[in-house]
Amino acid sequence: MSSLSATIQNVFNEPGCGKNANKSEAERKKGCTKQLQPGGAAGGCAFDGAKIALQPITDVAHLVHGPIACEGNSWDNRGAASSSSNIWRTGFTTDINETDIVFGGEKRLYKAIKEIIDKYDPPAVFVYQTCVPAMTGDDINAVCKAASKKFGKPVIPVNAPGFVGPKNLGNKLAGEALLDYVIGTEEPDYTTPYDLNIIGEYNLSGELWQIKPLFDELGIRILSTISGDGKYREVAYSHRARAAMMVCSKAMINVARKMEERYGIPFFEGSFYGIEDSSDSLREIARMLVDRGAPDDLIGRTDVVIAREEAKAWAAIEPYKPRFKGKKVLLITGGVKSWSVVAALQEAGLELVGTSVKKSTKEDKERIKELMGQDVHMIEDMTPREMYKMLKDAQADIMLSGGRSQFIALKAGMPWLDINQERHHAYMGYVGMVALVRQIDKALYNPVWEQVRKPAPWDDPAENWQNKAIAQMDIEAAELAADPVRAEAARRARNICNCKVVDLGTIEDAIHDHGLTTVQGVKDHTSASGGCGTCSERVQGVLDAMLAMPAALAAE
Amino acid sequence: MTQNAEHVLDHFDLFRGPEYQQMLANKKKMFENPHDPAEVERVREWTKTPEYREKNFAREALTVNPAKACQPLGAVFAAVGFEGTIPFVHGSQGCVAYYRSHFSRHFKEPSSCVSSSMTEDAAVFGGLNNMIDGLANTYSMYKPKMIAVSTTCMAEVIGDDLNAFIKTAKEKGSVPAEYDVPFAHTPAFVGSHITGYDNVMKGIVEHFWDGKAGTAPKLERRPNGKINFIGGFDGYTVGNLREIKRLFGLMDVEYTILGDNSDVWDTPTDGEFRMYDGGTTLEEAADAVHAKATISMQEYCSEKTLPLIAAHGQEVLAFNHPVGVAATDKFLMEVSRITGKAIPESIARERGRFVDAIADSSAHIHGKKFAIYGDPDLCLGLAGFLLELGAEPTHVLATNGSKNWVNKVQALFDSSPFGKDCHVYGGKDLWHMRSLLFTDPVDFLIGNTYGKYLERDTGTPLIRIGFPIFDRHHHHRYPVWGYQGGMNVLVTILDKIFDEIDKSTIGTATTDFSFDIIR
Repeated sequence: MSSLSATIQNVFNEPGCGKNANKSEAERKKGCTKQLQPGGAAGGCAFDGAKIALQPITDVAHLVHGPIACEGNSWDNRGAASSSSNIWRTGFTTDINETDIVFGGEKRLYKAIKEIIDKYDPPAVFVYQTCVPAMTGDDINAVCKAASKKFGKPVIPVNAPGFVGPKNLGNKLAGEALLDYVIGTEEPDYTTPYDLNIIGEYNLSGELWQIKPLFDELGIRILSTISGDGKYREVAYSHRARAAMMVCSKAMINVARKMEERYGIPFFEGSFYGIEDSSDSLREIARMLVDRGAPDDLIGRTDVVIAREEAKAWAAIEPYKPRFKGKKVLLITGGVKSWSVVAALQEAGLELVGTSVKKSTKEDKERIKELMGQDVHMIEDMTPREMYKMLKDAQADIMLSGGRSQFIALKAGMPWLDINQERHHAYMGYVGMVALVRQIDKALYNPVWEQVRKPAPWDDPAENWQNKAIAQMDIEAAELAADPVRAEAARRARNICNCKVVDLGTIEDAIHDHGLTTVQGVKDHTSASGGCGTCSERVQGVLDAMLAMPAALAAE
Repeated sequence: MTQNAEHVLDHFDLFRGPEYQQMLANKKKMFENPHDPAEVERVREWTKTPEYREKNFAREALTVNPAKACQPLGAVFAAVGFEGTIPFVHGSQGCVAYYRSHFSRHFKEPSSCVSSSMTEDAAVFGGLNNMIDGLANTYSMYKPKMIAVSTTCMAEVIGDDLNAFIKTAKEKGSVPAEYDVPFAHTPAFVGSHITGYDNVMKGIVEHFWDGKAGTAPKLERRPNGKINFIGGFDGYTVGNLREIKRLFGLMDVEYTILGDNSDVWDTPTDGEFRMYDGGTTLEEAADAVHAKATISMQEYCSEKTLPLIAAHGQEVLAFNHPVGVAATDKFLMEVSRITGKAIPESIARERGRFVDAIADSSAHIHGKKFAIYGDPDLCLGLAGFLLELGAEPTHVLATNGSKNWVNKVQALFDSSPFGKDCHVYGGKDLWHMRSLLFTDPVDFLIGNTYGKYLERDTGTPLIRIGFPIFDRHHHHRYPVWGYQGGMNVLVTILDKIFDEIDKSTIGTATTDFSFDIIR
């Protein structure tokens, strides 16, 4: 059995992850554990990542081994929906105390597992390791193994204590747990040539069910979803699927790839957000299944369904066109790929004025340009001040974003619609896109925004913070315009690499001084892109710009 | 037997027992000449149809489930707002028992009020003797500082003249000649409780300012910087008046609340019975004539009082039970304008927080349809707030709403795109509302406790805002005015919306896939 650190290394070596593949040996060792900046506001931990990845498996008991903090703060915090069992929603924890810290918590964990099996008899128990017992040395792998043997029931250790890294790493460690202990341990009652796995889908707000009827109609059987509305047994026999779809997020890439490696299940990366994406995904699924031996009429039947659903969806969106005329949208998303909803929004008559590219890849950006034109704002990060200015200058009427940007939008008085994981409406598939358009319509015409934007009537308009902030921005811009030296300094001071805090000027100087031509070269000289690696594309951009400059100018 | 001495069941459980169920069934069968259940069902369904609604709205004489109370109730409400004052209702004592129980059930406090206990002979020969004895007894038994006289229908029908009666009683020594006995004629067959409030408020103001019914010189107005504040008939008077005092305190406004009943209906339990508590002092009531202006929070509760005050040279202005951001803005801006006092940063922050709260959760209210019934001003205040939130106040109904009120509500509808499909119903009752809720359903109903029957019949969830609220406790302690009050209304509405979402998703293993903890 591999140790935790070996498992983590293994995850970092994931060849399916483009980001990791780009890294040097030494850096891969450091992994994507971008050191969280002490003192900075941070996201979740590996435990949280593991828990949210597996929690949607609905019929198992999820037991958190640790003090009350871990389960107390994460109990039932995701809107994944279950079609049958609700035991996943029950908060199980060992709630360890001081005695367990001193004498070890393994006995308590073992007893807790026994009590779950006695009282609930779930098909399996998932045990989550947390920081404290990991530090005091509780060996959950050993306890799970012993319990499994004793009770004759799968007891799965999920070894992702919070301190090992960020949420994303936790997602992957959860995937490893499934690969190590669950997948391939059972056999389905029967198989069909139409058996499909959906990986990295969490059935948030039950959105998988917006797609499922189409699969049913086509005769495609979802053998297993990992993990939305999943059942333990389904996951355990998922290795018998003919093909797999990995739903946009990279969170479970290791599961998809290793299942391809071990069981020969090909996968593709697709999305059901957006009409076009849904159609592409359905087509790809049909094609892959046929490749693996399904009768080839499936492709034709799929096309028929796609044509019908698309027509229905466009027709449903049609009435919103007049209401959306001239309305401008700013799209700030984290997980959901920005461009996957762009087409539908444009079809509904909305004008997209900007989109975030924080987590987008180079191809994503190309795609965005293709869809939205060259002069679209691609936003790395946006301050409330800038957001308010866009709104004020009527550059945007609504922002679509995840919950994290919600409060920025609200404070800036920007109409806002939640399209990330904590939302309460399901936006998947054809009907989902219509639902999204409907929600945008509601949000746009909500009179509250007007109220929010209006300053208190007794305020002196010149004195309110919005105007002051904008005035200040204008002054700063004017000063920069008037002073080329300062403007150049400001341009050069822009951070390119956030992890290693390397600004544009430093990179330009390094490229110039050392005649660098590659991202690796820049990394060696400045450490830029040596952290999470996200900025390597920006570094490439700087390189491209420098190299494109006339040699004479560069030589100056 | 389900009932035995060891285990006594109350009515919730007792009548569900098999022998009672059997007995009730037998009684129905043998003595009640029952109709065929299918026929009953057919008629019940028929009452939900547009056809029935048409007949319902064609009603001319009969009122079914009125959403209003009588003038004398409002009279008592206004009177207890003055220091040491006991309301004295000239008329039959049965009526007085109603007012007392009505208020006690709403405020969960004793409500002191006396009656001249007119009986049949008084009805025939006039109630003068009852007035003489009544005032004397009240004065000596309850030691009030003031006795505020109002009437019931009985005294009004026989035409008792309060002014003359009180004069005679004073001559006969019932109370000292200089003792304050303001009065107002408040027949129940005219107007409603809001009219009674208005009449008594006017009677008291007139008494102090205009020479105490000819027993003292009229007051000479020497304008000062203070303002007078009239709350109107308001089930939230305890919380609202305290909120107004807090806001005025923050703004450093000098004010007199006329009819401050916030303490008498919220007395502490500390071993002392307070028949009277707090209230506008009689000196303040008299001095109020010098104020710069008088503000009424409820236009339709001060239709007679404000013109009287205006005739004394004050600026008067009336609001319509302001709830929400824009309405509160307007109210505070007017206070600021009249007094010249700026709105302090602390209130600006309360406003900002309220706006923030609205923005956080308005998506749940936006687009929902509401039916509202209640007093005219409350209906206007709530409808305005709902429009502000993007909700549709589809039906707005006030049994005591006048033609003028109907026009005002319609104007409010016309001012917002969300008022497009909304309708106002003046002078209609809750049986009309029942038809409306069947033929033109809404998501939520806002009204008083009596709305629970509509909730039962039509399945429209009831949000309890109004007067009286008997079956939920203590909401009168929380304001609905000011930004903080608006927050309370917002939360009350949201709580119901979320409760309904939970209720519809609570089915174990059927609908609970959406029984989420995060909403």
